[in-house]
Amino acid sequence: MTDDNEPMTDGGTDEDARTDGGPPATVPPDDETPTWSERKERSQGLAQLTYQYFERSRREDEDLRAESTYVERDVLGFPAWPHETIRNLAITSFFIGMLIFIAALMPPHFGHPANPGSTPAIILPDWYLYWSFGLLKLNPLNPQLAVLDGNILLGNEFLGIIAHGIVFGAIGLVPFLNKGSARRPVEEPFWAGVGVTGVVLSLTLAALAIQNFFPFELDLLVTLTFLLPVLCGIITYAVLKTMREGYMYDLNRRYYMLRPPK
Amino acid sequence: MSLKKNDEMDHNAWLKRQDLTVIETAFLTTLIWVDKRLRIVDYLELLETMYYRANLQMPKSHTEQYDLDNKFWYWYPLYSLGSLSIIAYLVAAVSGAMLGFYYSPSTAGAAAQGDPTAAYDSVVMILQDVQFGFMLRSIHSWAAQFMVAAVFLHMLRVYFTGAYKEPREVNWILGVVLIGLTLFFGFSGYVLPWKQLSFWAAQIGVEMALATPIVGEWAAQLLFGGFTLGQATLVRMYILHVFVLPFVVTSLIALHVGIVWVQGIAEPH
Ligand code: HEM
Repeated sequence: MTDDNEPMTDGGTDEDARTDGGPPATVPPDDETPTWSERKERSQGLAQLTYQYFERSRREDEDLRAESTYVERDVLGFPAWPHETIRNLAITSFFIGMLIFIAALMPPHFGHPANPGSTPAIILPDWYLYWSFGLLKLNPLNPQLAVLDGNILLGNEFLGIIAHGIVFGAIGLVPFLNKGSARRPVEEPFWAGVGVTGVVLSLTLAALAIQNFFPFELDLLVTLTFLLPVLCGIITYAVLKTMREGYMYDLNRRYYMLRPPK
Repeated sequence: MSLKKNDEMDHNAWLKRQDLTVIETAFLTTLIWVDKRLRIVDYLELLETMYYRANLQMPKSHTEQYDLDNKFWYWYPLYSLGSLSIIAYLVAAVSGAMLGFYYSPSTAGAAAQGDPTAAYDSVVMILQDVQFGFMLRSIHSWAAQFMVAAVFLHMLRVYFTGAYKEPREVNWILGVVLIGLTLFFGFSGYVLPWKQLSFWAAQIGVEMALATPIVGEWAAQLLFGGFTLGQATLVRMYILHVFVLPFVVTSLIALHVGIVWVQGIAEPH
């Protein structure tokens, strides 16, 4: 507690004009709130680890920046106006224009009303689900998976569902299987081959879905469905592997000219 | 504190002291009037800070520094496939909202098997009676197909440029979820007109669900409203197509693009 003649907060001295309620009474300034560094010291367990990691990560960032040999450039990129704006408008209007043009040219077919009593000869989804429909037509493979005297182990539909799980699962696993900093297909011919196998497989599975349109035997089609993609994958691998040496030489030379090895 | 006015802050006197044109006076008066009420100075300062941040000198990108663009410029158009997915999605959303004014998700009205239902009739009405309705359905259908194609090609672009590697694994997984939802979006829309192919596509869906052990029957009831197709199936597909999926897919796209914004586009090495 201080004396009553404490100056007012705006420096005035007229006691009658005092509106701020006078000097602070008995409440001491609140120093209970811990400062940032106190919090860090006091914390324990996960909170402490978090603080420690943040500090490390910030330091790492600073070090990396300090070591960086990156050259500064004057501008970040094209100006948003007019360059980027006009480019984006051009792409967008071209895309929507093509969409409307095709919509006018090829309106979708509209079939007969649903009839639960009569199964149509050809059941097909939209084209983008053909591959999925093809996965449901793998039943010629199913007997080969049979173990007990000719009884199939899995229902045909369940086989299809497992196949879907495998496809989505395999795609989801890609980043965890293929690591490292390589970006270009030539740098990793194997993974480029895997990619081409996948793309061709989606096409051949679609072909399997519309098997009625192909004049050859089903067995052959099923075999081709799996053989063709692998073949294309192997060709991709071979081609890229051959290109790789010369290509990497070129790439490395450009790297070394700018940043010679120590 | 005392409420005496502080002369230094008398903006009006400051205005008069200066020799200003009418325009300047009007501008400043408005500015002061608004600022006294909304404190816009703070926001202007924020804008200014952002402006200077954006125009800072940035480090050269990897591609620029090692002069790699000459090998890369012809891949750049592929980097717009993600945005093209969004554009197609927007077109589908707008045309779909307009189709929704006229469509009715009901299997009522079929006297015998194979007769047109209310849902089928409402689509016929859109095709024949609604102004521009034929074109509208065509645009909606093609927008959906453009979106699926763009998403698939976008996935290939990400794969073949190795853009899914650390630290972008999460976005890749999110993308796998997004392409699955995009396909399911298409499937649920395919069922809505309740034509022959809609019905039998849904039939295959139910059979697939039922063939799954343990969760199969539960999934069939949740998604198709039972083990045989009918009114419940149509309404569920309708709600999924026009309510659930739009919200889920829109938020996931926002998250996906938000992560790209935070992480930056992967530089080719
Ligand atoms: C609804 C579907 C999708 C939308 C709207 C979308 C949108 C976008 C956009 C606008 C970008 C910015 C870069 C670009 O345009 O290329 C992007 C990047 C990315 N997307 Fe997608 N995407 C979708 C689906 C997918 C799928 C299916 C995958 C993969 C399975 C995927 C994985 C990625 C990854 C990893 C990036 C970062 C690439 C980089 O940094 O270079 N996205 N996405």
